[in-house]
Amino acid sequence: MNNAIEKKLALTHFWVAFGAFALACLMGIYQVIERSGFIGWIQSREVYYASTSTHGVLMAFVLTTFFIMGFGYYVATTTLKLPVWNKTFAWAGFWVSLTGVVLAALPLLTGAASVLYTFYPPMQAHVLFYIGATLLVVGSWFWCVSMLVMYMQWKKANPDQPVPLAMFATTANAILWLWTSAGVAAEVLFQLIPWVLGWVDTIDAGLARTLFAWTLHPIVYFWLIPAYTAFYCLVPKQAGGYLFTDEMARAAFIVLVVFSLPIGFHHLYMDPEQGSGWKLLHAVGTFVVTLPTFITGFTVIASLEIAGRLNGGKGLFGWIGALPWTNPLVLAIILSLLMLIFGGFGGLINASYAMNAMIHNTAWVSGHFHLIFGGTTIIMYFGIAYYFWPVLTGKPLFSNNLALIQLWTWFIGMVILTTPWHILGLLGQPRRIDKVNYNNLLTLSWEPYEITMIFGGLVLVASAGLLIYILAKTQFHVTETYDGEVEYAEPIHEVKSLPAYLNSFSMWNWVIAGYMLIAFGYPIAQFFLMKTYGSSPWGY
Amino acid sequence: MHIDQLEKKWATIALGITGLFVSVILASAFFHGIHAPSHVETIDSASLHLSSEFAEDRIGIEEDASGHITVRIVAGRYGFYPQDIVLPTETPLTFRMVSQDVIHGVHIPMTNMSTMIVPGYVAEVKTVLHHAGAYPLLCNEYCGMGHAHMWNNIKVISKAQWDVLKHPQGDASHE
Amino acid sequence: MNRLLLSLILAAPALASAAPSSQVAWTPEQLNFVKAGNAQKGRELAAPCTACHGTIGISETPAFPSLAGQLPTYLFKQLQDYADSSRDNPIMTGIAKGLSKQDMADLAAWFASQPASPAAYDSADLKNAETLVTQGDNERLLVPCEVCHGNDGKGQKLDIPALAGQQADYLSATLNAFKDASRHNDVYGKMRLIAKTLTEKEIEELGVYYQDMK
Repeated sequence: MNNAIEKKLALTHFWVAFGAFALACLMGIYQVIERSGFIGWIQSREVYYASTSTHGVLMAFVLTTFFIMGFGYYVATTTLKLPVWNKTFAWAGFWVSLTGVVLAALPLLTGAASVLYTFYPPMQAHVLFYIGATLLVVGSWFWCVSMLVMYMQWKKANPDQPVPLAMFATTANAILWLWTSAGVAAEVLFQLIPWVLGWVDTIDAGLARTLFAWTLHPIVYFWLIPAYTAFYCLVPKQAGGYLFTDEMARAAFIVLVVFSLPIGFHHLYMDPEQGSGWKLLHAVGTFVVTLPTFITGFTVIASLEIAGRLNGGKGLFGWIGALPWTNPLVLAIILSLLMLIFGGFGGLINASYAMNAMIHNTAWVSGHFHLIFGGTTIIMYFGIAYYFWPVLTGKPLFSNNLALIQLWTWFIGMVILTTPWHILGLLGQPRRIDKVNYNNLLTLSWEPYEITMIFGGLVLVASAGLLIYILAKTQFHVTETYDGEVEYAEPIHEVKSLPAYLNSFSMWNWVIAGYMLIAFGYPIAQFFLMKTYGSSPWGY
Repeated sequence: MHIDQLEKKWATIALGITGLFVSVILASAFFHGIHAPSHVETIDSASLHLSSEFAEDRIGIEEDASGHITVRIVAGRYGFYPQDIVLPTETPLTFRMVSQDVIHGVHIPMTNMSTMIVPGYVAEVKTVLHHAGAYPLLCNEYCGMGHAHMWNNIKVISKAQWDVLKHPQGDASHE
Repeated sequence: MNRLLLSLILAAPALASAAPSSQVAWTPEQLNFVKAGNAQKGRELAAPCTACHGTIGISETPAFPSLAGQLPTYLFKQLQDYADSSRDNPIMTGIAKGLSKQDMADLAAWFASQPASPAAYDSADLKNAETLVTQGDNERLLVPCEVCHGNDGKGQKLDIPALAGQQADYLSATLNAFKDASRHNDVYGKMRLIAKTLTEKEIEELGVYYQDMK
């Protein structure tokens, strides 16, 4: 199999993802400078909010979805040794999603959809924004179907065999995404679009927020699972070692999928439309979903330790230095795990029910998700890109050193950007302001952090440029060839057979359905049982 | 399924850590009544000024016989009304807040007076303020171009001062 | 000091009267009613309006506002407020009382459909006004005018009125009326609170600023 079709599929998706990323980074640096208020002539509310809305959509929806789809197609084909199920179907999904992006971009870039990437009604954007968002999600469902079909094809051809771990994770992610996107799909199809088109006069903002909260937490695991897939299935090999355990990895992916879904109300802790009992239930579930990350940390670090010791590292910590820090994927995971410690810690704070009041909707939240997503998750996307690019393009990486510099600068920039951001939140600065206008002494304490954040942004935007440079140079200017293939990590203990609950999803889908019914059943039904008053459309 | 001994130990520790967090949260909720603000109550945001509870002459402070204060606030682009609010320290406060238009958030920085104000619903927060001073009330959910301008100052005075003002010396009558 | 505080506390709903500022509430039914106004019918009804408000809804008398291109919701609300005395004007009160709700919706639809007034005068030095409009004033808790009334001064839903091209005298008179609360049909006193913080000079400059805005 020469995988030419799959390589093209993956590369095209990756370029859309990183193209969106580059554009969004430029907006990011504009935003951090504008918000500080230090440069007068760039101040503009309209531009700021159009930028933030576009930046959010590009980073949170376009970069992620396209990267995940590209990664999934190539992982599926190489780990199952099967061609992509239906080339036309896969490309159709790509075009549906890309069309959605373009449609949404039009109002976003012209300030007609400055409703931010959360688009909470009753602020109303141009109808093309909602249609575009819908198409982006629908296109991704094509990918989900492709993954499921390939998974089932392989299972049929290999009954009772353990599904290769990387595909198990990818299939889990596809299933997760179908469950996850149902919430926002319901909000968009049944509430937003009829309301924007004028078929209904009002929209219930409480129901809309609840449906969006359904999606809002598991989506971050949809983004994270490819990073974890690299953690378990790619890095140990690159580091020169073995995966500590295959079974616990599967268990982690399953718990991640099952428990990321029924916990969305930790995004609604401060909301009036849901009762505290339900919020408390979701809080407990939120802590359960931290467990697979704790486990992953252990397994992954243990795997790295094996590699370090095989490489000659001695002593309690000597193996760390013995790891191949000059391998971009290995460097990426080290930096990713460092950011996971602080990002994860911040997440525990956010999850802590009533304590959430101290940081809800403050700058802490923005700092948190830039660190955990823009840091932990995205740096792994970069690492994966550096590993996959030679395979997909058939050219060796343009410069390994530049790749290492790019990863280090991304890490450093992210730390400089997000640390003051967290502190600003603790000092009470609200989210989503374009400038500080409050006539209160408190705001004086914010200024030094605003300045520091600008430096973080500058480092990050340079790092982003370097990423694109390396990937483009590799694909278009390198003349040597490379014909390696993706190598997947092997576990120390080979897995010959697995119980059904670690090798299939049918049972888990039922468990998810049950949990979702408990966690969201009444909380959604209540909107239809009590008298609610919807809102008419408002502008911004 | 083979699980390494070390991994089992770590899983136990992880379970212990999360169990601790969950226990503390549940204990503080059930035994100390510490909850996220929740009070599912609907209201017609289009006709607040015609309602009885949020009529223009009823918003602001209401003190009941036992000294408990209810603060009624209407959030609407771009302010929190009424704009002049004075409150005492060390007094149970119930904030009841509604939105005239879109979703707002309201937070007094570094306190737990924080909630989303969703049109169609009454947001209720119970708290006690401990320090006198000027407390900014900041909108923290994007509500339009004026979001960064949407704020207010609540003046908090000591309970002693409040009592003197409400019940001047020698005046035995009550509100 | 204590007396000031006491009066603040006791008069906290300082701008209240016993009755609501306006009886108009923008429920979906009310919005749909206004939206369904018949502009052609409104045109016929508008014949007597031209004497004061101009032949095409663009006023030639400084004291009388232009109505062309105004938000229909805003126009409907003002007529309704005149009719039930939420807003007082010796001329308009009588006129409004003679109109049915449907008439009001039709008139609103007609005037809203007319092209708004273009700017008429050269702008003087209006830096102060421009600052108030674009930045507000943090110390006075003054929100910039444009975040509600639009960057282009064309107003915003649901019923924030367009100001661009409006008669300067009328605008200034209106701000002064809000300032002394003789006009009090703004729900929750939003405009009264704003106008109270403005000086006479600022009010005058703001009137001219918006009149000049294209």
